[in-house]
Amino acid sequence: MASATSANLNAVRETMDVLLEISRLLNTGLDMESLSICVRLCEQGINPEALSAVIKELRKASESLKVQQQQHTKCHFK
Amino acid sequence: MAHWSTFDKETEKETKKLIKCISGMEDEEDQNFQLALKFTWSNFRFHRFLDVDSHKVERSISGIYEKLMVHSDLRKAESWMRLTDEFLNSPLPQTDGKKTDAHYSVLSMLFSLSGSPSNNDFTERPRIKEAEAEDCFDWAKYLMEGEDIDNGLYPDTPVWSEDESEDDDSQRPISREDSGIQLDRTPPEDQDNTNKTVPVTWTVGEPGARAWLEQHVVTPYWVTHSPRFPHSLHLHSNLLNVWDQHLYNTDPLYLPEEKAFVTETQVIRETLWLFSGVKKHFIFQQHDGKVSVRNDVVVTHLTSNCLRSVLEYIAVYGQAVFRLQRFIDEVTGCSSEPCPPGSLSSHNSKKGSEPPFRTYQAFVWALNKYFTSFKEELTTIERELICNDETMTLSAVLERLGPHLSQIKVLHKVFCTGVADVPPATPNVVRASHLLNTLYKAIIEYDSVGEASEQAVALLFSLWTETVRPYLEIVDEWIVHGHLFDPAKEFIIQRNKDVPVNHRDFWYATYTLYSVSETVESEEKLNDSASGSSGGDQSSSSRQLTMVSFLKPVLKQIIMAGKSMQLLRNLHCTEAESSEKSSRDAERKDLYTLFLESVQSRLRSQETSPTNTVTDDQATRRSLIKMQSIVAQHLEMENVHDPLLAINFARLYLEQSDFQERFSGGDFIVDRSSQSVTCQTFELTLRSCLYPHIERRYIECCGNLMKTLKKDYKLLEYLQAMRNYFLLEAGDAMYDFYTAIFNKVQEKESWQQPSFLNVQLQEAVGQRYPEDSNRLSVFLENMDPSRKKHPVNNLEVLTLSYKVPWPVDIVISSECQKIYNQVFLLLLQIKWAKYSLDTLRFIHELKLQEAPAEDVKLKEPVHQQIHRMCLLRVKLMHFVNSLHNYIMTRILHSTGLEFQHQVQEAKDLDQLIKIHYRYLATIHDRCLLREKVSFVKEAIMKVLNLVLIFSDRWQAGFGAWKIESIDKMESDFKNCHMFLVTILNKAVCRGSFPHCK
Repeated sequence: MASATSANLNAVRETMDVLLEISRLLNTGLDMESLSICVRLCEQGINPEALSAVIKELRKASESLKVQQQQHTKCHFK
Repeated sequence: MAHWSTFDKETEKETKKLIKCISGMEDEEDQNFQLALKFTWSNFRFHRFLDVDSHKVERSISGIYEKLMVHSDLRKAESWMRLTDEFLNSPLPQTDGKKTDAHYSVLSMLFSLSGSPSNNDFTERPRIKEAEAEDCFDWAKYLMEGEDIDNGLYPDTPVWSEDESEDDDSQRPISREDSGIQLDRTPPEDQDNTNKTVPVTWTVGEPGARAWLEQHVVTPYWVTHSPRFPHSLHLHSNLLNVWDQHLYNTDPLYLPEEKAFVTETQVIRETLWLFSGVKKHFIFQQHDGKVSVRNDVVVTHLTSNCLRSVLEYIAVYGQAVFRLQRFIDEVTGCSSEPCPPGSLSSHNSKKGSEPPFRTYQAFVWALNKYFTSFKEELTTIERELICNDETMTLSAVLERLGPHLSQIKVLHKVFCTGVADVPPATPNVVRASHLLNTLYKAIIEYDSVGEASEQAVALLFSLWTETVRPYLEIVDEWIVHGHLFDPAKEFIIQRNKDVPVNHRDFWYATYTLYSVSETVESEEKLNDSASGSSGGDQSSSSRQLTMVSFLKPVLKQIIMAGKSMQLLRNLHCTEAESSEKSSRDAERKDLYTLFLESVQSRLRSQETSPTNTVTDDQATRRSLIKMQSIVAQHLEMENVHDPLLAINFARLYLEQSDFQERFSGGDFIVDRSSQSVTCQTFELTLRSCLYPHIERRYIECCGNLMKTLKKDYKLLEYLQAMRNYFLLEAGDAMYDFYTAIFNKVQEKESWQQPSFLNVQLQEAVGQRYPEDSNRLSVFLENMDPSRKKHPVNNLEVLTLSYKVPWPVDIVISSECQKIYNQVFLLLLQIKWAKYSLDTLRFIHELKLQEAPAEDVKLKEPVHQQIHRMCLLRVKLMHFVNSLHNYIMTRILHSTGLEFQHQVQEAKDLDQLIKIHYRYLATIHDRCLLREKVSFVKEAIMKVLNLVLIFSDRWQAGFGAWKIESIDKMESDFKNCHMFLVTILNKAVCRGSFPHCK
């Protein structure tokens, strides 16, 4: 039983590797961690397009937040 | 969407992870995080996308393939087809089967995320190998234990599984374990671990020397990818591996992280360094004042979570130490050692431009003293650790440091509330008083807990006594030398620079009391009413703070003594007393020393005798004593003092005496518990040790000042002079003055000329009191025309003024003179009425007799008129005389006697001023000058006015009289008389005028 599980685990791990390769090829910008989170979410039935929309939005938002903070600190230094 | 409800929780967890992963926000409470979460949820729930269509995805796959082909990216196209195919045919973590919706779903998501795959530079990595290599790379770290020793027993293991680690253990079932469980059969290699100085001969420059050093001294664990230290493979020392293995096996998506391995010894040493204030560590990291634990540090025998929780506990204290240390550095100006308080003056010169904030310095000095002892303890531990004679674990060290850590916690708490929470722009006085108050409150707070916090109380008490030192020194300087030396403006009372000492307002306006408490504000105003204006805005800015509470009970005395002393100093400055003063100064102890001495003596009295008895067989008695103390406490409820209790605390004192040299907090505990009152004993200590000194000094100072004022500055004489001239006690001189005026008035000449008035005054006074004649002068004021209608009011333009020299003008201020003047005017008015009645002559009768030829018919009413006039005159005279007598004797004289008596007994200047004011208020009141009884005064004025009119008529002569006017005067007088009689009778009955007839 244990070996079966471990075999399964290894298979899944391989799948994830393949998926990471695909993701890299498609230039999605996802790393292993976020990719595995996405996979789990997809498996839980989240709509993939909604998911991708969310990811894009989040990226945009955090980017602008960072820019703001940088400007803020620059202002401080001035 | 069918899974929705089932996976709700799971999904939420994943969503949070996703947000963290993508946005990098760690704090779930963050507003932005919450926004993102909300946004994500709403997108997941309410989107307008269709469900995944496998055909569509297939089409996209082939579309992308074609596109890649068109771009003649053959390699990419080939890998694309292969990878997608492989993916669709592999299992997913939670979904069984191939080419499921989940597969397509994942792909579809990737498609929507993809950014121009054709432009992307992609080379497929040799996947399988890479994955394994990655595994190896990570897991090698965990496996190295065995491999280091055996040098590559397992080269690239394709699949790492549990079996192998078991293998590992079975191969080497017994080995040395870090925590020392199995010390026998230690493999010889492991000796390297123990940092022992092995006597090896080697020369510098030998190529092997460095390598040897690296091996034998300390593994440079702070270098990334540092060589791993060897250690055993016993299960106990590999808990981390086992746990990681477990995680790896249960969670397919578990990503092993890179770890930095350290030994427990290293952790202990870093902990000790952290506590001793070293700023750069490997395990602990500092980011702008915050100490955090490095994420990837692990020891082999603990899981990372476990280690982390312990280290975080340490980091909290480390941060406290760090903050306190930084504060110390800030105050001392980054010098390593603050000067001892004895050399505070040298500190002053060092800082130069900015006067040092002595309260903080003293606080820092006390802190530093504590830290010195703490660091000694740390050094001892570290030395033991280096010697490596006995096993030392992190928890043992923490336990040993436990009392210190709790003290640091207390210190940090006090520091936070007392120093750190104060906004930076706060003036020093508020900071200082806030700090002292915080300490004071903390002591009382911990004191009330009782036995449980003896150490904290001891520590805080020693802190407090150190911190309070500058304050006491300031107070001392002030009440002894009359000089408020406070360059940093930290004392609650400050000198207003713009008021010179020899100014009239000195007594009121010189000092600003920074009272910062709502509850005691009214009290403060009383103490120092004139400075209330400047104190007021202060209180609004920082209302939450209170005035230094320990000084509150004696604040008035301090202020009085200080002001008196300064005044006295200035009075004396002309006299050559300096040599005598300085010699006295040398013998004198300052307030702080006196305070410490009394604290010590107070504590020692209860402690010395039993200490001697206890030293010999203390250990055997200890348990007995402890029991006894409990009994003693019960006994003390009935005020029975039990020496055995003192023994118990004497023991405590012995234990702690190394910890505070000057006087131990243990002393204080003795004191506290033998009093058996928990809450108030601290205040009791203050009351018996500090306040009496201040009190004594206060009495001395104020007594001196009073004596000097009375003796050298003739205060009493001046008060007498005021009464002489303003209250007409110098009857003869003033008589000359006012009769001259009245004569002028009667002769209908203008008398309102300053020169005339002053000449009259000088002549009258100069004859009898030549020394006062040049002080007195008369002014004329412009009166408002509305009040001019009555002749009696004509006098109200007069203002008598007496130049009072400094410093007596503190007592006899211009406000006082105003009141005096009011009384003076009233008296003058009465005198005028009296004078004008007295000087009426019976010329009319003569006239009457000389002209008998008049008609008999006329004669009859004329006689009647004369008779009536005479009667009226007598009545008026009676009224005026009794009023005059009443005011001059019953009121002014008797009140004056009372006043003189009180002045003799006045203890300080403030009291004297108050007595004087009260005296003035009384005579002002009794002369009916108060607003409230103005109607009585009006009536009297009317009568006086009547008198003047009457005398005027009389003077005008017989022919001018008219029967109607006489009628009117009579009825007016009657009315007023009746009115006054009823009013005064009522008042006397009511008892509101105890001084009336």
